[in-house]
Amino acid sequence: MDKLVGLLKGIFKDTDGESLGKNRLRVTAPRGSVLAVLDYLKASGFYQLKSISCVDWMDENEFELVYHVASMESPLHLMVKTRIARDNATFPTAIPIFKNAGIFEREIHELFGVEFEGNPDLAPLFLENWKEIPPFRKDFNMREYVKETYDSIPSFEEYQWQKEN
Amino acid sequence: MDRNNLIKWLKEPKKMGNKYSLWAVYFSTACGVIEVPPVLTSRWDAERFGIIPVATPRQANLFLITGYVTTKTLKAIIRTYEQMAEPKYTIGFGSCPINGGMYWDSYNTIKHLDKYIPVDGWIAGCMPRPEAIFIGVTKLWGMIDKGLATGYIRYRENYDYYRGNQEKLFGSMEWPPLYTLKEGTNDG
Repeated sequence: MDKLVGLLKGIFKDTDGESLGKNRLRVTAPRGSVLAVLDYLKASGFYQLKSISCVDWMDENEFELVYHVASMESPLHLMVKTRIARDNATFPTAIPIFKNAGIFEREIHELFGVEFEGNPDLAPLFLENWKEIPPFRKDFNMREYVKETYDSIPSFEEYQWQKEN
Repeated sequence: MDRNNLIKWLKEPKKMGNKYSLWAVYFSTACGVIEVPPVLTSRWDAERFGIIPVATPRQANLFLITGYVTTKTLKAIIRTYEQMAEPKYTIGFGSCPINGGMYWDSYNTIKHLDKYIPVDGWIAGCMPRPEAIFIGVTKLWGMIDKGLATGYIRYRENYDYYRGNQEKLFGSMEWPPLYTLKEGTNDG
């Protein structure tokens, strides 16, 4: 583990690694070198992209992208983290390195609004007729939305009563 | 067959036929469907009650909504419900279709199912036991007997209300209205 961190630090600038307990490693990389780090990790045996997740740090005005990579041969679980700007968030796609990145990126694009450049399919995945800001952003007011969309509709009994009076 | 019901069979064969052949459309919305396989298979054996799962909505007349309903599922539910032949009965299963349940403030889950399609009966609980399905079904029998299970008639007569709510949620609908809309409604 320490060897891998040393190697990564040697090759990529501003890259840092930190152990999070047994067999878990967090690698923080600047925006520019994340894909290169992923490429390097894939070449050195971590060929499985498990997931991509996103964290909204609203106060710092940043999104944090987390790439989870692992390999079937080693018990090590790697998290490659990076911070990107929150306004008009864009990031290059990881499809050339990991083919299955497409669906994760599509989900993040829908729920956080991060635009992945080079991803051919960023169509909505879960949401239907969505007109608000992406729902997983912290400034999205869920209560207000629910009140407007669902609770404002009169129930059938109320509708009948209104019709009769 | 219960011998006491013989008079009923002779008087109203259609109603009794409806009652004892509730064919359920095999449509699973969410976690609630985990209770359905034991109900249908030998442990609780729903066929004693005349419930068989069928593959297409055209053959079915019982619709069990099992669990929470997302907007995307609701679209499929409405399509399925409109394809079913009359008379058709709907049962909301679990607390989520009733009032949202634990998804009461979720951005993508329907809170009250009966605002979008008519529901004849509810089975409350999270999750209800398989026995509760049978209690619900026997209650539905009573309702059919008394002529109270009229969800499909309500849907036909108040189609403006239901279609209006559906259009409000989905924007534009992908299929034409099932019944003719009365005047003074939004046309999507």
